[in-house]
Amino acid sequence: MRVRADTALCVSTGSCALTAPEVFDLGEDDGVVVVLVESPPDEQRETVGRAVRACPAGVLSLAP
Amino acid sequence: MNRHTDTPAGTELLDLPMPEPRTCPFGPAPVYDRLRAEAPVTRVACPTGLTAWLVSRYADVRDVLGDAERFSSRPGQVVHLMAHADPERPIGEGEFTRMDGPEYQRFRRHMGPEISSPRRLAKLRPLVRAVVDERIGALAAAGPPADLYQDFAIPVTTASIGGLVGVPYADRDLFHTAASGVFSDVTDQVQLAAAVRPLQGYLFELVRRRRVEPEDDALSRMVARAPSAEPPFSDVELVAMSAVMLVAGFDSTATALAHGVLALLNDPGQWARLRDDPSLVPGTVEEMVRLFGGGAGIVREATVDTEIGGRPVAKGDYVILAIQSANHDPEAFPDPGRLDVARDTEGHLGFGHGTHQCFGQQTARLELTVALEALVRRVPSLRLAAPLADVPFKTGTSVVGPERVPVTWDEILPAEGEGP
Repeated sequence: MRVRADTALCVSTGSCALTAPEVFDLGEDDGVVVVLVESPPDEQRETVGRAVRACPAGVLSLAP
Repeated sequence: MNRHTDTPAGTELLDLPMPEPRTCPFGPAPVYDRLRAEAPVTRVACPTGLTAWLVSRYADVRDVLGDAERFSSRPGQVVHLMAHADPERPIGEGEFTRMDGPEYQRFRRHMGPEISSPRRLAKLRPLVRAVVDERIGALAAAGPPADLYQDFAIPVTTASIGGLVGVPYADRDLFHTAASGVFSDVTDQVQLAAAVRPLQGYLFELVRRRRVEPEDDALSRMVARAPSAEPPFSDVELVAMSAVMLVAGFDSTATALAHGVLALLNDPGQWARLRDDPSLVPGTVEEMVRLFGGGAGIVREATVDTEIGGRPVAKGDYVILAIQSANHDPEAFPDPGRLDVARDTEGHLGFGHGTHQCFGQQTARLELTVALEALVRRVPSLRLAAPLADVPFKTGTSVVGPERVPVTWDEILPAEGEGP
């Protein structure tokens, strides 16, 4: 599982970072999503999936 | 305005349905059941004179909100209800709620680190807890009954957003007055300017002061980061952002809290479930926002000739997204009118969707969660002091909800860490 972020679309809601804080963060200065772990372990699949769906701006996607 | 008032042949022009709290205190106007089934995209006339497409199904509302390229926020979010709102007025400096694309993102990203990052929210939690505990202490000192809206919810959210931005509680009248002008549906443009001007003057001064003597608050950090933004933020823009945070940041959350507690106390089985298992509180907060959020609906403007749910919509047409109706669409949420503290609410639209999704949603969640946790723990005997039929609802405002929530209780337990 790989996480992709199209950061150009990010509107800084923080939903991803609050849903899956081990995988996503919000930049302290620029307010843009930071992917902390690009290939999260499979046991985090459900949480990461929820974080991806929680983004209202379609920034995030998952690739196998 | 002709292009906006033409009604295609065969389409009946309805009056925009308004909330009916007497018959539906916890849901949208009952006519939405019929609209979703028979006329999910239909022409309506609004109280302001605007004519628009009213969209009531979950799938359509979500699609429109999620596509800012086809549907712009330029008219203004509640321009269908506000006498002072003019969808064709030029966008003012810092008036980011009507912007789209990178211009809009620049504002969201400047505020984001203060209101949306896990680190910042973790630091805000103790502030909100202290405010909540103090207010519950005040309820205990005054004794029952009380009005959970004015005596608890409003002071809690006011002190929380003020503390976050950096405005002392003693100065709250400035943003309370501005908010009553902004959210009233009868204020005209002159009255609005008069209601907002004192807050703007105050914030200009505060921006200058925090630039010289920064404190540990959002305004100081937004002022400090302003020169490194692209392009740098002007003082007018900093004032606009902090004003919107304050004005939009207390009554919407307070009303959601009062409305939610009213619904919970009206359904004692749900209140008991929450009291017995406070780990259900964060989910209950989402359920409250699903049930009541976006009750006034929000507006977009089509930027191209397009369609919504198969219905052609012309470039320049206004569109009203009936968010509360979408969240009560049985296609999206089974038995949607029922308050269920354990419901799976994933995908609800109570905070909106798309790039304009509520920018204060994380602080609202924090305040609602901390307040509800404290109420179920410290005031487990909380109950309504009047029948639901006697609870008055607000009129003349786009912030839909109860005007008073009369409550009573047997005992208030001490705050954690406080002696009995």
